[in-house]
Amino acid sequence: MNILNVEKLNIEFLDHEGPEKVVKDVSFNLEEGGILGIVGESGSGKSMTALAIAGLLNRHDMRKSGKIEYKGRDLLTIPREELRSFQGDDISMIFQEPMTSFDPRLRIGFQVEEGLGVHRPEMTAEEKKAAALEAMTAVGLENQERVYMLYPHELSGGMRQRAMIAAAVITEPRILIADEPTTALDVTVQAQIIKLLRRINSEKGTAILFISHDMSLVKQLCKEVMVMKKGSVVERGSSEQVYLHPREDYTVSLMNAIPKKGVRYYRSEDIESDSEIARAEKLNVFVGNGRGRRCIVQDASFSIRQGEIMGLVGESGSGKTTLGKALLGINKDTEGTFDIHDPYPQMIFQDPYSSLNPARTIGWILEEPLRLRSRVDREVRRERVNEMLKTVGLSEDMYSRYPDQLSGGQRQRVSIASALMQTPKLVIADEPVSALDVTVQRQILELIRELKEKYSLTVLFISHDLRVVYSLCDSVMIMKDGVIVEQGDTDHVYEAPAHEYTKKLLAAVD
Amino acid sequence: MKKLMKNKSFRAGLVITGVMVFLAIAGPFITPWDPEEMNRGLKFSGVSLSHIMGCDNFGRDIFSRVLYGLRTTMIVAVGTVFIGCAGGVIIGSLTGYFGGIFDTVVMRINDVLFAFPAVLIALVFVSLFGSSDVILIVALGVAFIPSFARMVRSEFLRNRSLDYVAAARLQGAGNFRIIFFHILPNAWPVLLQSVIIGFNNAVLAEAGMSFLGIGVQPPAASLGRMLSEAQSYIRVAPGYALFPGLVIILMVLGLGLMSRASYE
Repeated sequence: MNILNVEKLNIEFLDHEGPEKVVKDVSFNLEEGGILGIVGESGSGKSMTALAIAGLLNRHDMRKSGKIEYKGRDLLTIPREELRSFQGDDISMIFQEPMTSFDPRLRIGFQVEEGLGVHRPEMTAEEKKAAALEAMTAVGLENQERVYMLYPHELSGGMRQRAMIAAAVITEPRILIADEPTTALDVTVQAQIIKLLRRINSEKGTAILFISHDMSLVKQLCKEVMVMKKGSVVERGSSEQVYLHPREDYTVSLMNAIPKKGVRYYRSEDIESDSEIARAEKLNVFVGNGRGRRCIVQDASFSIRQGEIMGLVGESGSGKTTLGKALLGINKDTEGTFDIHDPYPQMIFQDPYSSLNPARTIGWILEEPLRLRSRVDREVRRERVNEMLKTVGLSEDMYSRYPDQLSGGQRQRVSIASALMQTPKLVIADEPVSALDVTVQRQILELIRELKEKYSLTVLFISHDLRVVYSLCDSVMIMKDGVIVEQGDTDHVYEAPAHEYTKKLLAAVD
Repeated sequence: MKKLMKNKSFRAGLVITGVMVFLAIAGPFITPWDPEEMNRGLKFSGVSLSHIMGCDNFGRDIFSRVLYGLRTTMIVAVGTVFIGCAGGVIIGSLTGYFGGIFDTVVMRINDVLFAFPAVLIALVFVSLFGSSDVILIVALGVAFIPSFARMVRSEFLRNRSLDYVAAARLQGAGNFRIIFFHILPNAWPVLLQSVIIGFNNAVLAEAGMSFLGIGVQPPAASLGRMLSEAQSYIRVAPGYALFPGLVIILMVLGLGLMSRASYE
């Protein structure tokens, strides 16, 4: 029995220079109680499809055609009033950003039970509250009574996403649309949310449409998978079939893009174990001033050997970026000692959208270190920049482009080039691939490995992704709440984790 | 810039402004009449071939006075915006970039200055130092600083914590270089708009000041002064008020069109 039929769905934007089709002839159906995963990179049209089903695409500057059939009605053409009777009742949605999907001025409890207020007007306030508390228990929120009275900013990301799910399932929907529900969350929390979705599906029989760019998450949860690329469905089938016998190259590249646990992709061969490039002893790092001054990193002691890639792993807020910035001298408020045997250590930033000056051309940005430090002629500068552009896999005509004319992957290449322009020995890469699409991630990691060998760099690789770290790093430090809880050889730490937290992290990735 | 050129209202504004600038510069070569030469016989003579805008109460050619007045007004406006913009950029970028107590103190002074209308501040200046073109420019310029400073400061606040600033520091750029070569270019688009709007305000402020009699001193011509003199003769010689007013309108319109286009 199919609960939802989508037939030849087309969505076209009309406000761009030419009409732009973002969803092309997409057809699929969702079984009663089934879980369908939609996988694709940004721009593949997966979120647009989801929004269309949820009835949230009502802009005037777009054209929709095809059919979205639910209970014998076409959701694309039914009147708004009738659509609203489904929205939040039979069909619910969970969004990617738990930060922005709640109204910051309203209490969690009110927002969780709001769906009941709209769709079950006969319920009394007490009944609604009881239902809200029950839903919050069901999604694993502890201290429901207290959380009920809190405001969104008082909850952590994971708690907020749970509350969001509670709000979505409180009306016992028959279809739950989850649009990248775990992307903004830490790994340990991700695993819990996936488990929760699976439980809701098996206990209540809610059909789930799970949208993600992460093939391994989809594999954990979904019985059926559909792969989308540039608005079209390129492959679909049962999970097993798609994973074991993918038919399309694109599916394969999506799967390979995410490093698998336990697959070693690179280990350095040129580590000089007796020479350190960086060393910290009992290093404390503070952020803020006056009464707001807080100790973010506590008692960090470590040494980085010349030529290695060291991973620094931790969840958001664990202080890994703060530590990295302290080593570079950007955060100056420190106690304890640290030594860097490189006059100009460099950083590759997480977000290539803010790390390149939007008002300057790529050429100008890359020439800046030469203007500042080596004082060479204009022609020499230009030549060296062109050389560097080639090294990081970009063409020379990037020279006169502005950052907003580049894709995320290209920007990250420029950012890497800019770090390398100053011939550093130590590079701190702060989540260099987290903001990028999965297939691009792979390319950037490959580039970092290549350049590391070419320039014999030492890299401190900051990441929240244990799989990436395992695939690339020689040694690893695990950080939790500002404290380095475990460090050592990557293979050793992954095989025999000593600290409870490390075990928990490793258990969270599949 | 290319995109701007495609915009119709920007092109229209550019043409109008271009004509105005041309008239202001080439004025002396266009009109055969001395703007200050009086001729009793021609008093309030109407529009004619030799005096295309007629003559005023002293028999001076209105057309040449408008051209010279336009020039005065433009010089005052450019000077005013230059002082306001330069001062605003320096104050705004330093306070926005460094923050802290320095920012608090300077911006509170700025707020106080902002609370007074530009014309009032200029009045104080004129009553302290007497009235001349230079003092008028300085007075209006100072009065324009706060609005520029605020705008530049907000751009710096937004930009200073972005990663590209940290990247520039790692590349070895000092504070001065980061402020003026890295962050400031990001403020240009907003700055350009406020320069245009500021220019308009300056034109109107100059006209207003001269209208009140504390701006440009007679017998020199300025558009505002001409309007102020013309009001007594509005029934006898409507052209005397009409033409300078029209030129002010055109000038403001041209720049207004350009600023609106760049905003879009």
